[in-house]
Amino acid sequence: MIKIDNLHVNVSDKEIIKGLNLEINAGEVHAIMGPNGAGKSTLASTIAGRENYEVTSGSITFDGKDLLELEAHERVGEGIFLGFQYPVEIPGVSNLNFMRTALNGVRRYRGEDDMSAAEFMKLIRVKAADLKMDMDMLKRFVNVGFSGGEKKRNEMVQMAVLDPKFAVLDETDSGLDIDALRTVSDGINAQRRDDTAILLITHYQRLLDYVKPDFVHVLANGKIVKSGGPELALELEEKGYADVA
Amino acid sequence: MTATVLETYQSQLESVIGAIPCTDALRRSAMDKALTAGLPTPKDEDWRYSDLKPFRTGAFALSKAAQTSDMPIQYFADKPAARLVFINGQFSEERSDLGTLSDSVRLKTLTNHCQVDTARADDLLEGVDALDYLNTALMRDGIVISVPAGVHVTAPVELINLVTNSAKAATHTRHLIELGENASLTLIEQYVGDATDYWSNPVMQVRMGEGARFDHIRMQSEGSHAVHTGKLYVDLDARATYRGTSIMTGAALSRLEITARILGTGAHADINGAALAAPGQSHDTITRVDHRIPGATSEQIYRTIADKRAKSSFQGKITVAVDAQETAADQSFKALLLDRTGEANAKPELEIFADDVKCSHGATVGELDTSALFYLTSRGIDPDTAQQMLVEAFTGDALIAVEDDDLRNALMDNVSRWMQERSKGGTQ
Repeated sequence: MIKIDNLHVNVSDKEIIKGLNLEINAGEVHAIMGPNGAGKSTLASTIAGRENYEVTSGSITFDGKDLLELEAHERVGEGIFLGFQYPVEIPGVSNLNFMRTALNGVRRYRGEDDMSAAEFMKLIRVKAADLKMDMDMLKRFVNVGFSGGEKKRNEMVQMAVLDPKFAVLDETDSGLDIDALRTVSDGINAQRRDDTAILLITHYQRLLDYVKPDFVHVLANGKIVKSGGPELALELEEKGYADVA
Repeated sequence: MTATVLETYQSQLESVIGAIPCTDALRRSAMDKALTAGLPTPKDEDWRYSDLKPFRTGAFALSKAAQTSDMPIQYFADKPAARLVFINGQFSEERSDLGTLSDSVRLKTLTNHCQVDTARADDLLEGVDALDYLNTALMRDGIVISVPAGVHVTAPVELINLVTNSAKAATHTRHLIELGENASLTLIEQYVGDATDYWSNPVMQVRMGEGARFDHIRMQSEGSHAVHTGKLYVDLDARATYRGTSIMTGAALSRLEITARILGTGAHADINGAALAAPGQSHDTITRVDHRIPGATSEQIYRTIADKRAKSSFQGKITVAVDAQETAADQSFKALLLDRTGEANAKPELEIFADDVKCSHGATVGELDTSALFYLTSRGIDPDTAQQMLVEAFTGDALIAVEDDDLRNALMDNVSRWMQERSKGGTQ
């Protein structure tokens, strides 16, 4: 589904990703772990198409398309979703308006008609209930006054509404208590299908107890230095990155 | 130069003498004062951010009276109490619709205002600076709405000021709004015009009795080459509530000066506004809130946007007199620059002579939040729509005093359209 080939990325003229290779197929869940500053979030932002993340060489191919040719919103139209480590607060924009505009943006990109307000409300009620988010929070401004856990739950509702083919979840587990972690994990597992793929970026094994990855990679100093099965995550938890990577 | 320009205005005086009964002496006196005061100079603090060139390089002729015009007008109220249309400063019977408004309120054009009661000429403010004086000396007409005590005009009144075919010509309109005790009124005031380089110099006086309430929307949507110098004077008696929201999008050079005098305990003034300056436009707002009496409150929320080479300025002064204890006065100004060549100026001023008061002010200038933009685009929202959403959210703060949802949405639609024009390149 997605193939990253010899990727080099500069941020503010500093090379952060230094020749990264990764291939993820439909039906797979991959986890990337690694120490702070290894380039995990840079990889996530680059896949999502954030400005000022300069790809100096290499390629990212998504379903046969050159992803790097597309703007951020077009990538979403193609089926990519980024779950933010730090979801952004947007005062003055209601969560409902945000999600409906997003969904219709994607539908327009795909040449589909806008979803009506009534139809959208039906959809959002179901998705919010699945993730135990009450309607009141959907009426509030995007992430404003939300706790850390509520913000992450909100990310999962957005993911469920947009139903991406490929989701990159950047430290979606950080700042969650155990109940919130379960809810968020349920959200991720619901998105796990034969026709979707998921890339989890995480510091901790904890999330991987709930969302079992097929492959685990260690990212250090801008490269994947080791890959393995789920057992690699346990090994990292036990021995730390220094010994493993 | 100034003297010559003002002498030209003086020569226009004779052509309006007699146009409004009982005002000739006032006109002559105002013209004398204009000559003495002189036109504003860059040394005048209130004019430091405005380009004076249009005023100093030559006089504007008097615009020609016009009975009607086929220019389209955008109305905001579905069922207004009345639609009052002025064309080049003269009341247009043809385009106006008085409805049944005059059943419950005293509704007169300025030309009829003091026909019966000559003392009513004293209602007219002579002015405080040259532009006011010129308005007083050269005004052609205006509306006088007097809402009697206890009368609530429930539907909004729309007041449209339209200027057409007035290249290098000026329109001086004077409107008077009087609210009796516990009376209420909603007014949607618009300034629109064609693409000629006209000058619109209106003055509105508002007098509010005890417990009166005035909801006031003021939309400056003048033609793109116009100069607009609007003045608004509001006097509030005890427990009166003024809720004013100004939206400024038009004119090449635009100024709005609002002076609110709080003259009674328990009065409250909301003086809010948004100004959206497209490339090359200059928008200037000056507010003066004068707390003279204890126990009154005021709040100001201004949000301005400046695109390429555009300028938005805000000067807000709050004065609290020595006796005006327990005053609460807040002021918030935020400017958004959509381009690095845009300019924003803020000059908040507090003059507090009382010691038991709660006053605050804040001013910030910033750009669109790139993290928020990325967040929106990372959810499939295209960049133009994302920018529009953020601009609407930013501007929305200034519209909170508009309680009517439909009206507030209609005003927000204007902001949305402004952004859509911008992304189409229509305002470049």
